[in-house]
Amino acid sequence: MVSWIISNPLVAAAIGSAVVAALLLVWYLLRRPALTHATKLVLLAAIGVLPLATATTGNIAGFEATKERQFCGSCHVMTPYKHDSEDRRSTSLAARHARNDLFGEANCYACHADYGMFGTVVTKLGGLRHIYEYVFHYRNTSLEEARETIHLRRPFQNATCMHCHSTQGTSWNATKEHASLLDRVRSGEISCASAGCHGPAHPFSKPPQARVPDPAIAPAPDATQEQAR
Amino acid sequence: MKKLLHRLAGLLTLRTSAVLTLLGLAFMVWSMVKPTPLPVMLAMSVGQGLGTTAFAIYAYIVIREIRREMQRARERDPS
Repeated sequence: MVSWIISNPLVAAAIGSAVVAALLLVWYLLRRPALTHATKLVLLAAIGVLPLATATTGNIAGFEATKERQFCGSCHVMTPYKHDSEDRRSTSLAARHARNDLFGEANCYACHADYGMFGTVVTKLGGLRHIYEYVFHYRNTSLEEARETIHLRRPFQNATCMHCHSTQGTSWNATKEHASLLDRVRSGEISCASAGCHGPAHPFSKPPQARVPDPAIAPAPDATQEQAR
Repeated sequence: MKKLLHRLAGLLTLRTSAVLTLLGLAFMVWSMVKPTPLPVMLAMSVGQGLGTTAFAIYAYIVIREIRREMQRARERDPS
């Protein structure tokens, strides 16, 4: 843990600020000095400046931590997905992408993030929903049951794949299937991860007919991906 | 009601502010040492809420103190 803190400058700075602030506050609480200008300045540092530094750097470090696979896999229902991503022998789309240095430890986030203008906010709001679902519905669900029931809320968007695979490269278009389905892939009519193409991203991904219907969300008419919840 | 307000005002001390800051910092440090959903969410909500409240109390007390000092200075030297 110490090496992790030292290797992460943001976390080290945040914890350093917190420790200095805590020392000053403990000094104030134990010594009870008179409220002179000097005491006010010390307290301004201990109650204002240093905690603000901790909160700011801590927020950045926290948001970065939420992108890590370790974070996603910390809810037990996600552990099979995490283990598959980390399995060097796995040939699933998720595992193959995790072996790419561009994705690395953040491979869950790279594929499940929204890349729109407010993508980060939308993704974090989605994450809050995941925590709500976990705490109120899935906390005591067994892994077997979770594997059968957990599925994406909305069909996976090809736009996410196209964030890296732009569909404009020469080698990409040299593949016959890509070239013949170009418009349908770009419009999202055919999913990159459909059975006849690159297959599901995870070994536990459900085919459309096996999904548990969610009455709150009307399924897309030609959705070929996982949906709901 | 008056008694309750008086009691609440009595809580607005720098010691309370210091204790709240320590609690807020504890939540923030916990989230960095163990970055899992619960600590991260608590740090960004409860931790920062406590820190903001603590700073608001500090600002209230210090500003009140400065105003009193200015008032006393005016009384000593009305010109």
